[in-house]
Amino acid sequence: MPTIRFLLADGAELAVEAQNGRTLMETALESSVPGIIAECNGSAACATCHVVLPEEIMVALGPISEHENDMLDFAEAPRESGSRLSCQVRVSDMLDNVSVRIPSA
Amino acid sequence: MSEAVKVVDDVTFEELLANPYPVFKRVRDLGSVVKVDAANIMMVTRFDDIMAIERDPETFSSINPQSLLNTVIGPNLMRKDGEDHARERAAMDPSLRPGVVKRCWAEPMQVICDDVISQIEHKGEAELFEELAAPIAARALADILGFDGVDWQTMALWSQSLIDGSGNYSHDPEIARKAREAASGVESAVDRMLPHHRANPNPSMLSSMLQADPPQTVEQIYANIKVAIGGGLNETRDSILTLILGLLQNPDQLARVRAEPSLWGQAFEEAVRWISPIGMYPRRLTRDTEISGTLVHKGEQVGLCVGAANHDDRRFSDPDKFDVFREKKSHLAFGAGSHFCAGTWVSRALVSQIVVPMVFERLRNLRLKDPELVRVRGWVFRGPTHMPVVWDA
Repeated sequence: MPTIRFLLADGAELAVEAQNGRTLMETALESSVPGIIAECNGSAACATCHVVLPEEIMVALGPISEHENDMLDFAEAPRESGSRLSCQVRVSDMLDNVSVRIPSA
Repeated sequence: MSEAVKVVDDVTFEELLANPYPVFKRVRDLGSVVKVDAANIMMVTRFDDIMAIERDPETFSSINPQSLLNTVIGPNLMRKDGEDHARERAAMDPSLRPGVVKRCWAEPMQVICDDVISQIEHKGEAELFEELAAPIAARALADILGFDGVDWQTMALWSQSLIDGSGNYSHDPEIARKAREAASGVESAVDRMLPHHRANPNPSMLSSMLQADPPQTVEQIYANIKVAIGGGLNETRDSILTLILGLLQNPDQLARVRAEPSLWGQAFEEAVRWISPIGMYPRRLTRDTEISGTLVHKGEQVGLCVGAANHDDRRFSDPDKFDVFREKKSHLAFGAGSHFCAGTWVSRALVSQIVVPMVFERLRNLRLKDPELVRVRGWVFRGPTHMPVVWDA
């Protein structure tokens, strides 16, 4: 089981055991990670589950969909090069011990 | 120990229509699921309960082939779940994404708004429902759908007739006839428009549905365009009026928002929390389950009262008050879960970035003609229905 290290907007870190195949958003909700609201529950419609991933993980995850790309420009916190909607990222061993930052709005 | 559903039998339907919020509060404090006889529905009214329900579509399903909505407009995405819903939703989304709204729709919406305001600007007074909000909402919707040449009155008639037909639980033959007429009017319009959109791919919803992979069938297009007409006009119209009303009743907040235009977005979110255009929608139980300790059975339907959740005093302090500057918290005016309002981003842009700022810019010293004349009505759908205003022409 990979461990996801959520870096909260206030600087604190919350390490969470995650299940492969679940999304980062679901993982965050199960541990009540502050800042992940996920109003649309994973439909990539609300842009309220914005996270920022390290550059190498972005590269490894590959290209994002046109829809998600459009949504990210309208998330409340400004978009960064590592921005993703956490509902569109599936947990895998690649994310073990990776820092997933919740950007502050 | 689970509790049985409590019943409220002394509320009238008229009380709900006139002002549902006191009823909602009573119901919210009474239990997590309460049958309200006047509305003939089991209401869920607490914020956290609705959020939890919308995260569990397998238990709380939108699928309901026997629903009036399906009878009136055909099998549509509002009454589907999972992959079936996702595919039809994905066929509409390319027209409604926030970036598309900004790139493709902001300019035509600006033109519509300018045109409507220009027609009333010199008069110094107007009734904003009929002379501003309805025409702007209807014309913007026609543009986004790709319904060239359909006038706003026809759009508004179709929309209202489809909504009335979907709520025609008393089987009134006249309401049913009007809904059938609207449905066939929409279908003929779609038939007329499709060749153009097939030949000229563009950002409109009709075009998106044709370009979708797999392309939508004509039956899917008919039904989901009807959903967009029934669900994309009144809510925009009502939120335009609600935002104007909230600000006119609170001149100090209006002054702060006008001085700091980045606050328009926040003001809009507060308006739709305060008077949510859609107050209730149904979900059907696929198994026996408890909602915060109250037992509800398989096959039964619950009404998710997002209008009530948005006034839940467990979450929002002084919830009946319009306060742009209240502590920031997410609301349920656009629903939640996979059926989260597809038009959210259009309405945010149109209402909070274009229409309402332009109204206050162009209609100088805008004020209510007489606060007593303002009418706000409805509970399933709620908004100002009559709003006479005056300004310095």
